[in-house]
Amino acid sequence: MALEKQEKRLVAEKGEHIIARHLIEDDHIKEEKNLVIDGVDVSGRWNTFITTRVDSEFDRAFFQEIKETVVGSRINRCWQCGMCTASCTVTPLYRRFNPRAFIYMMQLGNLKELKKYVDVAWRCVGCYKCSQRCPKQVNPAEMMEALALLIKKYFPEELEGKLKIDEEVKKIYEDMILGHGRLDLAKLHTSSMQKMGKTKDLIGKIERDAIFKMAKDGRAFSILRLGKPHNWGKSKDAIENYLKNVKTIENEAM
Amino acid sequence: MDKLKENQAAYYPGCALLTIDRAYNNSSKLVSKKMGIELVELQNYNCCGIGEMKSKGAVSMYLPLRNMMLAKSQLGSKDLIMACSVCYHEFTRSITRVRENKNELVEVNSIFKEADEIEGEFTPDGEARHILEFLYNEKGVDEVKKNTVKSLKGLKVAPYYGCLYSRPSMYTFTDKKPNLDNSERPRFMHDFLEGMGAETVFYGNEVQCCGGRNVVSDEETSFTLCSQTLSKAKKAGADFLVLICPKCAGALDVNQPKIVEKFGEDSELPVVYLTQLMALAFGFSKKEAEFGDMISDPLRVLKEKGF
Repeated sequence: MALEKQEKRLVAEKGEHIIARHLIEDDHIKEEKNLVIDGVDVSGRWNTFITTRVDSEFDRAFFQEIKETVVGSRINRCWQCGMCTASCTVTPLYRRFNPRAFIYMMQLGNLKELKKYVDVAWRCVGCYKCSQRCPKQVNPAEMMEALALLIKKYFPEELEGKLKIDEEVKKIYEDMILGHGRLDLAKLHTSSMQKMGKTKDLIGKIERDAIFKMAKDGRAFSILRLGKPHNWGKSKDAIENYLKNVKTIENEAM
Repeated sequence: MDKLKENQAAYYPGCALLTIDRAYNNSSKLVSKKMGIELVELQNYNCCGIGEMKSKGAVSMYLPLRNMMLAKSQLGSKDLIMACSVCYHEFTRSITRVRENKNELVEVNSIFKEADEIEGEFTPDGEARHILEFLYNEKGVDEVKKNTVKSLKGLKVAPYYGCLYSRPSMYTFTDKKPNLDNSERPRFMHDFLEGMGAETVFYGNEVQCCGGRNVVSDEETSFTLCSQTLSKAKKAGADFLVLICPKCAGALDVNQPKIVEKFGEDSELPVVYLTQLMALAFGFSKKEAEFGDMISDPLRVLKEKGF
């Protein structure tokens, strides 16, 4: 049930049966309609070849940078077995979301390749199947978070485009957690709907029904009583102070 | 505040359970009390970070660990019980990390010192425990059977564990400790439900993800995953999908009308919390178990089945 739309076609696409086909550029795939090698007819899909390519645009400093984050500290352990991609919840929905390939690109520091996946790279749902099954305990689930951080740092222009929703929702969470110490789920829901331009849905029937139900049974008002933890100001100041002095990827990007 | 007595345990409610998921909160307390353990709420607790703070270095560990510190200073308890799987993940993650990396423990402690709110340094000697695992290990299935006054016979249920209760075992230590659940095939909830007389169905999505983390920013993915789980459980003949996480409820219960609108009637299935069914079996009323709070309307099915 892939979410990426596939149009109907009659003729097989070039290199169609290659697993993770999106990782290879069209020019690198050689397919002959009719081909006979040493008297053996290898016409059809049997004669697909991928030509060797040379990658030279690496930035190895990138690797070190990931290694220093809380989430990406185990990147050096990956040996590319592909168990993460095989287990992934998101890959069947978005074929181009391939954790193994992302980790490989991150190890090499191949920013040019990574940029092609800005639209899917943030879609990890954090189910941790990959981290559970990884034979080297790389923790790919958290590596995907490191990836999301880094593409925000290196491609800030995307923050206004493909990464806009992800970034804005994250901001709402952060402001609430650091500012108030607790999460107001009703406010979180309404303000993120507004940020995403779905204000219209908020007054739709389904939302109205839910709000009416919660107002009727009193839960809507318990949200107002949630309040702040006593003395949260002290923690808030300490956290802000810590963030001012510490080197995180986000700090550097600003 | 008084320190804990025997048969009491420190309980971290988190943000969802005190507000919109009061059904889970109230029924958890009722059930635990019936089984002989009183859950004492932690005061002045803060949000666990819900996985959104991992980009901020030691802050992501400070947030959950502050609550561990509070439990120790307020209630004198090393361990902390929680019912939300996301909180459970954040707590176990932080505790494991500071145990493994001494320099991260130093960083966290530097924030504690700066805040100057709770006395002493943090030492990772306590455990965060999920309420399901806690009740299973402290009281066991026999206690559930003993307390069941109204058998759930005739109910077909689909237990849904979700992700973070059993995964990743590098943090939760499932598989690694014999008293903890299996990470790929958890069974504690099955044992409880079967102990109360209900019939569990196999539907293949027990440990699948509901897309909870992106439920706000990426509805499309979440809806697709949820509709798969709901329709599979319905096809297997379940009357209820049984949850142990408020985030799963957000995706599977609160969003269910939208999912049904998009994917059709196949995805329409009442969703309840495990502790609600336990409360029902233990003799509490449907009102006390707050079945009416669920958007997916479990009351109708309960009525049909004669409960």
